Amino acid sequence: MEFLAEHQLYIVMIIVLGIWLGLYVYLFRLDGRISKLEKESRHES
Amino acid sequence: MQPDERYGRRWLRATSAVFLKDWHAELRTRYAINALGMFVVTTISIILFSLGGEPASPEVLAGMLWVVLFFAAMSGMSRTFVMEEERGTAMTLQLQAPASAVYFGKLLFNLVLGAGLTLLTVVLYAVLIEGFVIRSYGVFIGVVTLGSIGLAAASTIIAAIIARANTKGTLYPVLSFPILLPLLMTVINATRLASEGTSWADAGGEFQILISYIVVVVTTSYLLFEYIWKD
Amino acid sequence: MILKGALGVLLTLVIIAAFALPITPQPQSWLEFPLIPGLEEKARIIFFHVPTAWLSVMAFLTSMVFGIRYLRKRDMLDDIRSSSAAGLGLLFCILATATGAVWAKFNWGSFWNWDPRETSIFVLLLIYGAYFSLRSAIEVEEKRATLSSVYSIIAAVTVPFFVFIMPRIMTGLHPGAKGDPDGAGPVIEFKMSPNMRVVFFASLIAFTLLFVWMFTLRVRAARLESHLQAKG
Repeated sequence: MEFLAEHQLYIVMIIVLGIWLGLYVYLFRLDGRISKLEKESRHES
Repeated sequence: MQPDERYGRRWLRATSAVFLKDWHAELRTRYAINALGMFVVTTISIILFSLGGEPASPEVLAGMLWVVLFFAAMSGMSRTFVMEEERGTAMTLQLQAPASAVYFGKLLFNLVLGAGLTLLTVVLYAVLIEGFVIRSYGVFIGVVTLGSIGLAAASTIIAAIIARANTKGTLYPVLSFPILLPLLMTVINATRLASEGTSWADAGGEFQILISYIVVVVTTSYLLFEYIWKD
Repeated sequence: MILKGALGVLLTLVIIAAFALPITPQPQSWLEFPLIPGLEEKARIIFFHVPTAWLSVMAFLTSMVFGIRYLRKRDMLDDIRSSSAAGLGLLFCILATATGAVWAKFNWGSFWNWDPRETSIFVLLLIYGAYFSLRSAIEVEEKRATLSSVYSIIAAVTVPFFVFIMPRIMTGLHPGAKGDPDGAGPVIEFKMSPNMRVVFFASLIAFTLLFVWMFTLRVRAARLESHLQAKG
């Protein structure tokens, strides 16, 4: 904690990393869902 | 050679027919002369009122001149195409004339309209606004001529797009502005140079930009017009 | 699959490197960035701001290329691709404008001062805005596809004029612009040390991969949507 209080730049880094990982997980799950829907629509037709 | 020549002559006749059709319609209704003339008078008087006798810098006045011309073009130059759609004559025209002849006919009409508008605006502007002094007349005339040609060239193709999109008013300046911005920035800068007094050599870069802009816009419009015009 | 994993690792590493590596006046090792006078810690923006600006231009060109393909082949899928690319381009364009404005506030003193780069990104924003307002105004699909393709081509041929106009009208403040006192030429070439360049190009690649991924996702989703609509 003291280390972070002294080097505030690392706080920014952690926030940016958090945003990026959140976005990554979101895109990954979206990809999976779209693949599933594509499979379903191919089965139907 | 023979068929080519005959095609060329037929194309020229079609182009001038499209132009003359709009020209006669204009003479009959006098829409441009009345409405656009009043538009220019109104905007210039607004500028006069807002200046309130205060002297303004040549940069501001050069910019204002082109603001008037831009909005005058935006209110007048879409008419040639919108009219065809409104009257339902677009279909007939599609069948009777090649697309390129329609494009150049309309372009010619807008060029004439633009020349008239520019002449009226510049004369009124020079007479009514005191601070507006031109030191290099040759450069100024060249800039205004090329500027109004460029304005007409870009406005014509955007007018064709918005007439097809069935949205007459609001979208036209929105679509035209990014396309016209390079032209407007150049002419405003060149008008400022002309009012401060400049030589042809100093304004040479501006003229190169204006001429190449006009050539590029007219060529791409000519190539793309067919896609807009025929569905 | 491998590419997605690689993207995840790459951008994570880029973020860590961009923030964690110290900036010192005399870099001793490979893991220290040199100090650039006038930029100092603010130099770190280059790893994120420049890739977004680059993508907003690339997305526009992608959109135009698919627009041309639509006009040639009349395949609705190309229009879906074209509009998806433009949508992502708008997103990256807004990001580039916002990050640039924040940086400008602390480097130049105000959020916006009509520097040539700021003017050109503003024009790009306007074009994206005009493109989408044109699309939203037309209901017939084929007409919408044709007209928006034509518009993006016309916009693409007039925008390069700014390259010639800008230097005649104003001097730039942007790092790498003509008015920059420490020499002309893009920052990328002149002021970045080799290790900065590695991180920068890694970031550029990562952002491009991210764009490609988001682009394919949007296209696939739009395709599913049109399949469903076709079924009724």
